[in-house]
Amino acid sequence: MNHDLFSYLPLFLKAAALTIWLSWLALMIGAVAGGLVALARTSRWLPLRILALIFVEFFRSIPILIVLFFAYFGLPVMFGIDISTFTAATLALALHATATMSEVMRAGIESVGRGQWEAAQSSGMTFGQTMRHVVGPQALRVVLPPSVGVYVTTLKESSLASIIGYVELTKTGLLVRESTGGGFAPLLMLGVLYFLINYGISLAGGVLERRYNVGTKPLLAGGGQ
Amino acid sequence: MHYTLQFRSIREYLPLLWDAAYTTLYLSILAIILSVIIGCGLAIMRRSQSRLTRFVAVAYIEVMRNTPLLVILYIVYFALPAMGLRFSSFAAALIGLTLNSAGYMAEIIRAGLVAIAHGQFEAARAQGFNPVQTYRHIILPQVFRVIYAPLGNQVIAVILASSLASAVAVEDVASWMQTVGSTSFRFFETLLVAAAVYLVLCQTVNLIRLAIGWMLFRDNGVRR
Repeated sequence: MNHDLFSYLPLFLKAAALTIWLSWLALMIGAVAGGLVALARTSRWLPLRILALIFVEFFRSIPILIVLFFAYFGLPVMFGIDISTFTAATLALALHATATMSEVMRAGIESVGRGQWEAAQSSGMTFGQTMRHVVGPQALRVVLPPSVGVYVTTLKESSLASIIGYVELTKTGLLVRESTGGGFAPLLMLGVLYFLINYGISLAGGVLERRYNVGTKPLLAGGGQ
Repeated sequence: MHYTLQFRSIREYLPLLWDAAYTTLYLSILAIILSVIIGCGLAIMRRSQSRLTRFVAVAYIEVMRNTPLLVILYIVYFALPAMGLRFSSFAAALIGLTLNSAGYMAEIIRAGLVAIAHGQFEAARAQGFNPVQTYRHIILPQVFRVIYAPLGNQVIAVILASSLASAVAVEDVASWMQTVGSTSFRFFETLLVAAAVYLVLCQTVNLIRLAIGWMLFRDNGVRR
């Protein structure tokens, strides 16, 4: 192990914090937007259902790298505006998270029996009240554990932000590697840090799962990037 | 927004796209086949009697599932040469993609194995089948039905993930997009074309999956 490398540790930790923040932001946007898309997918109005389905299928059939390039290079060309690497990365990750979270949310909404809706409706609750007091809390138990998986996926995908030059964890590792004259250690350090962060999140997810007493398999085989 | 699409200026790069799509497909298919084989091995290792064997399999799966593919690719392509292991871009991408996907495949296959009732193993043993025969004739055909749907998802995930091979200089569709975008200055058009290629690839796989699923399992009411 390179001796210099430990002097870079604070830098690595700061970058790790940026990575966590970037993916958390994307996940939160994805959760809200994904909830809306899930509602659209369960809507009674067919065109809305089709539109939501196309959105989800589109973003699940396109590599996140292309979405990222679209946000960073495509949008400025199209609208003549400049987009920071951070904004572009957040946007791309959030779009992808929206597509996956909408499936998670849909499973959550559908897991609550129709009777619950009807009962709430017949006791005079509005749609908002039904969501907030009856369906929401029940759906949350189903939604929480797979959301942890989506967060891990988003965190891993955030490494792609390094390709458009945003200095998060991966880019930091590459820069440190360059300034220390190449070699094995900085990249290995990256792998170890990502593993520790994600494994920590997965373990926390396991704790949540036990607390809410729901056994869930990883909902989507989000294998890859 | 006054942007007009001009596909004419990227027309001359389209023959290159053909090669790029071929590379993407070839890389993905190889990675899928290899990772299914390794994934099977890992899934069986996870059910082993030996604690050490189980630990090795679990450790491998967890490391691969919790590390970004991009970092794995960088390690294979940039870091391993420092230890004297040098690979071509394509080989590095294939190794990285396979190692990564094998972690997911192992979990998918394990979920399939878990779904098989224990009596099946015992019955096979009582019939005098050895472990290889048991898996080959009794267990795997049943497992295949259970894992068919998630396996399809993973195939699509590998095709999408293969776009990261462009980061280690493999000339695939994503790399075509970056090169042609920066030489022709028609980023938007190249992005659209590349997106369309991936979309068509993934949706074709989806249709094939549905068709095969329908042919194989139409009588069994299995989720496709």
